[in-house]
Amino acid sequence: MAGQSDPHLSIFSPSEVEFVAEDEIVDIVPNIRMDALNMICGDFGPFFPQIPTKVPLWLAVALKKRGKCTIRTPDWMTLDRLTQVLEAERESPREFQPLPFHYIEISKLLFDHARDDISDAYLVRSLIEDIRDVRFHKVETGLETISGRTHAVKLKNLSAMEVNIVRPFMVRTLQAFYKHDSPQMIQQADNAGSRSTPVDRGPRVSLHF
Amino acid sequence: MPGYYDIDDILMEDEPISVVFQVTANGVGLLDPGAESNSVEKGAKVDLPFWLAHGLLSHEQAVSINPPPCFTQKTRKEIQADAACVDLRVRCPYFYELGCKIVPLVSDKSIGLFLRYAFTSRYKEVLSKSHSSSTMSVPKFVPLLTKEETRVFESARESMAAFKKWRAGGVRLQKASILGRKRKTMLPDGPSTP
Repeated sequence: MAGQSDPHLSIFSPSEVEFVAEDEIVDIVPNIRMDALNMICGDFGPFFPQIPTKVPLWLAVALKKRGKCTIRTPDWMTLDRLTQVLEAERESPREFQPLPFHYIEISKLLFDHARDDISDAYLVRSLIEDIRDVRFHKVETGLETISGRTHAVKLKNLSAMEVNIVRPFMVRTLQAFYKHDSPQMIQQADNAGSRSTPVDRGPRVSLHF
Repeated sequence: MPGYYDIDDILMEDEPISVVFQVTANGVGLLDPGAESNSVEKGAKVDLPFWLAHGLLSHEQAVSINPPPCFTQKTRKEIQADAACVDLRVRCPYFYELGCKIVPLVSDKSIGLFLRYAFTSRYKEVLSKSHSSSTMSVPKFVPLLTKEETRVFESARESMAAFKKWRAGGVRLQKASILGRKRKTMLPDGPSTP
């Protein structure tokens, strides 16, 4: 895949993640009359002035660039909702609040192309930045608990971009721990005691972030 | 068997290992700098690269391997005292990789546990610095890391840098230089004065 730095780790570059996020559906209010668009991914429209309709984000951005529509801010991107989310994120140190899987990418695209459609754009932007910082700090504290006994990590409600940032680090770390904790490395250390019994790798540890 | 395309694996196999010859070997006097004749005496202590020591051990049992100096009690004590401050790169840049290969070859079976302990305790330091460190300056603990730790650190730093670059924005599509130019309109030369 283009922009991939290490084929063994299958890393997405941030712009590739953004590309995936452009398939998310948003509400727009067109100001033109246009027939329905028949795409491979589905049919969108027909478009009538002042009648809201649902289109993928890439189409919304393309129409917006030409001044053919206004994009409606998604429900979760309002000042009230984000303030609630930020408070909840700060209160629960182990859990992530449910946000859209692509909230970082969607908000960035909207800020770049449809800034005039967002109410309190400046505040919303700084709120999203704060939420992202709080969540990333949680990810880091969660990563501290990885040890040789960790074979799987459960990350509920983590978003695409957040996963993508920690992926290379995490994959390498888990690989290293797996290598150093393999029975071949450790079993021989206590072969005097329990040679015949297979090494108990323990239950799958799942970290609840 | 080293990974054929893995340069680190090949370099790691070049690490010198101290071995004791169990047999007298004729015609290989150049291996032992102290040899008087062109042969290595039985019981001679010689430093050989890992690949040669491994080969001699697995085929002929011609040598016995001593654990390399980076796995001695002194290093273990230092790791136990403050793992993050120990300069493992000076001792052996391929500390973990070499350790993994040495474990099946020597009688001291505690090396495996020691490796895991060292990595676990040093990992936290790498974690706490890697995502937050700036892209311009290199934190001062980086020269202490082994190859494997450096790789973990760099992968985290690169992904964070890529994200920051994306967030800062910039043009996604580069405009060809020719597109910006306006075409010159050629007016027919004529009498412009009325």
